Amino acid sequence: MKRWWAQPLVRAVVALALPFAVPAIITLLIWALPGSPADNICRGATGCDALAARWNLDQGMVHFYLAWMGDALRGDLGRSWSAVQGVGIRELLAPAVPVTVMLISLSVLPLFLGAALAGLGWIPRRFDPIFQAVGLVPAMVPALVVYAVITLAMGAVAADGSESLLLKLFAGALILGTTDGALSGAITGTRSVFDNERKQQYVLVAQLRGEGVLSNTLPNVAGALAGQLRARILHLLSGAVIVEAVLRIDGLGDFLWRATLHQDFGLLLAAATGFALVSGVILLLQASLEVLVAWHQRRAPQVPVAVGA
Amino acid sequence: MGRSRHLLIAAGLSAAVLSTGAALTYYEGSLPTTLNPLYAAKMVDYRAQELVFDRLWYHSPINNELESKLVASWEMTDGGKGIKLELVSGIKWHGGEPFTADDVCFTVKAMLDPGTPSPIAEAYRDILAGCTVEGRSTAVVHFTRFVHNPRERLGFAVLPEGAFEGNTAISPDLEFSARPSGTGPMKGSRGTRGVTFQSFANAQHNPQIAQMQLQESGDPLLGIKALINNSVQGIIEVAPNFRADVSSSDELALKSYDLRSWWFVAINTKKAPLDDRRVRQALNFMLDRTELREKSIGVKPGERNSPCEFISGPFVPSSPYYNRSVPAVERSDLAQAEALLKEAGMEKVGGRWQFKGQPISLRMGMEKSLDNEAPDILSYISNQFEAAGIGSQVYKIPPDNWTTEAITGHLTDYDLLVGKWSFGQVEDVNELYYTRSRGKGTRNIFNYSDPEVDRLLAQYDAAKIDTAARDAYHKLHAKLAEDLPYLFLWKLDTKSAWRNEVKSNTIAPYFYFTQFDAWRYEG
Repeated sequence: MKRWWAQPLVRAVVALALPFAVPAIITLLIWALPGSPADNICRGATGCDALAARWNLDQGMVHFYLAWMGDALRGDLGRSWSAVQGVGIRELLAPAVPVTVMLISLSVLPLFLGAALAGLGWIPRRFDPIFQAVGLVPAMVPALVVYAVITLAMGAVAADGSESLLLKLFAGALILGTTDGALSGAITGTRSVFDNERKQQYVLVAQLRGEGVLSNTLPNVAGALAGQLRARILHLLSGAVIVEAVLRIDGLGDFLWRATLHQDFGLLLAAATGFALVSGVILLLQASLEVLVAWHQRRAPQVPVAVGA
Repeated sequence: MGRSRHLLIAAGLSAAVLSTGAALTYYEGSLPTTLNPLYAAKMVDYRAQELVFDRLWYHSPINNELESKLVASWEMTDGGKGIKLELVSGIKWHGGEPFTADDVCFTVKAMLDPGTPSPIAEAYRDILAGCTVEGRSTAVVHFTRFVHNPRERLGFAVLPEGAFEGNTAISPDLEFSARPSGTGPMKGSRGTRGVTFQSFANAQHNPQIAQMQLQESGDPLLGIKALINNSVQGIIEVAPNFRADVSSSDELALKSYDLRSWWFVAINTKKAPLDDRRVRQALNFMLDRTELREKSIGVKPGERNSPCEFISGPFVPSSPYYNRSVPAVERSDLAQAEALLKEAGMEKVGGRWQFKGQPISLRMGMEKSLDNEAPDILSYISNQFEAAGIGSQVYKIPPDNWTTEAITGHLTDYDLLVGKWSFGQVEDVNELYYTRSRGKGTRNIFNYSDPEVDRLLAQYDAAKIDTAARDAYHKLHAKLAEDLPYLFLWKLDTKSAWRNEVKSNTIAPYFYFTQFDAWRYEG
């Protein structure tokens, strides 16, 4: 309890550093690819030097990173070089962020539900193998099936129509929230946290006093649960890349995929930074929750423990 | 009163929509990379751009005559090194600005500007010297030398000077690449999932289809099902294994699309034993092209109007440059192949040919996407060589690597490369066979070099009349068929599928939508 502020502080620092660190790591990776980045993009065309200079690829990775970061901080993300050539990256990503956030938010719902029911002990253990079996299915498989069904049912509308977007978001969220071990992990993880906590002496004392178990354990497990939830959301974010790419949802994940495929470095950095920002926000939320829990615990009356009992 | 007014407005709007036609959607294998004609790289780019832009001159798909929608009259100047163009008046850009001679000269200058890193512009730099505006609708285009086919050489799309504010250094990542302004029948706009085309009536165009959508098809089976369900109205390229499904439907029409492309197996003439012409000729006789096209493309024996015609040289059979006196090898002749290999000093041991005591094994590559048009073709070729006693290992090369490494002459560790070339307006094969040096031979895959071939290519370059150019290329055809830097396979058309509600949809070779004004959709 002495340094209750250390962990939230570290999380806050990491959250603030992520949007700067992620583009730096990607820049490193771009320069680690065989061949120079300019050659990889120009593909031997004449005038490659002019293009390299235009895209800040001609003076090494530090120059590229600083130039990109400087422009990004001024709100200028440039234009897509190849994935959606000529379209402004801000124009592409501004509507993509809420789409991905919505997809993740919707896919968190089954996890919340599963975790809550598991925490309350309303999901019997004998059902675990079923959830685990569903969890073994990779997200790619149901995503491909859903895409085929939507395409056959809606045809051309499936690719571009706003009416298909909602359908794809709900289907994608259901896939993300149940496959790849997401739901089974939420159920078993939450249950094990509560099971461990219930064994604590203070819970037994509280029970003897006639107090509720949940109201006693929840403040103490909130931090652990928040940590689990953050890990699961990060897991969902990585799954979102696959689901968005397969279902053709114009979200951050899909742009990240397309940018990688087309070596569209500007779009790649911007989309990855978008993910970093989302992760940063989640870290800040976790840190805030930890501060709240610590504050609550400091305010709570200390339970006397009988020494040598 | 108010209600009847609203009804009248609604009726008027409905009539307006009906009179201009309804929207239709078609599938392409992939989305266009760009709508800027200077950066077209794939066929889908050319097709989409054909809707948005007018090329100065184009071949009519009806009679193959050179026509122009932009040029009213023309005359040669400067002793044949210039061409004076009188432009059609009243044409507007999609942004509403008038089309003038300034735009023609701007386009020429943009292509000549070294700050425009466009491979298409680069190809024009050898032939274009500049452009002079001689009035609002008069421009003179200057050539670097006398050319026998000046109008064919001016097959480029014209760009609007106003869209670039006069800056002739045009980069691929400008907004113009996604939302261009052209003078073509449709105004195009690239989205994240497709391209939307809106009709634009102009002095030279009167499109009947109000709106059209280009989308990426994804899985071919889903594409066909969506077409049958009328969720989309057309598919540009139907894979061979789905053509029967389309043919069997009363609601669909399978239409031939001449890509003006021919297939080949390029041979690494720098590597032993392929540096010996007799070995190359033996390989030529080992291939049973009839069996290959039957197994891979599904052409039945004796089928009439086959989409796949054998070739003996580097041109499509309908080309004036194709030398009909050179026969194509249709069937294998293993006896002749054996005789040639023995003459070249090879030895057959245990059914395998050996060179200097080592069994011959060829490293073969193919651009991966060709598998869609001719499934498993690489394996079939490999099997035929195996059956004839030549071993091989096969590799599929991603399209990007093909562009960056194969075409640029960097895949020299391969012995054979299966590929195809497509030609639009000008069938200039010089870059494929010129000795690679000083800016020539930029597409010479295995850096083939032969002085006689170089001489014939130079003869074509210097031709002042069509007959001289034709004569040079006929001789080149015969020479290449004998020397065999390539094993020439076939010209292969592809098939499009359109719903019957789409009428008068003449498909132009290569550019597809050249006659789009006549297309109608009664959906």
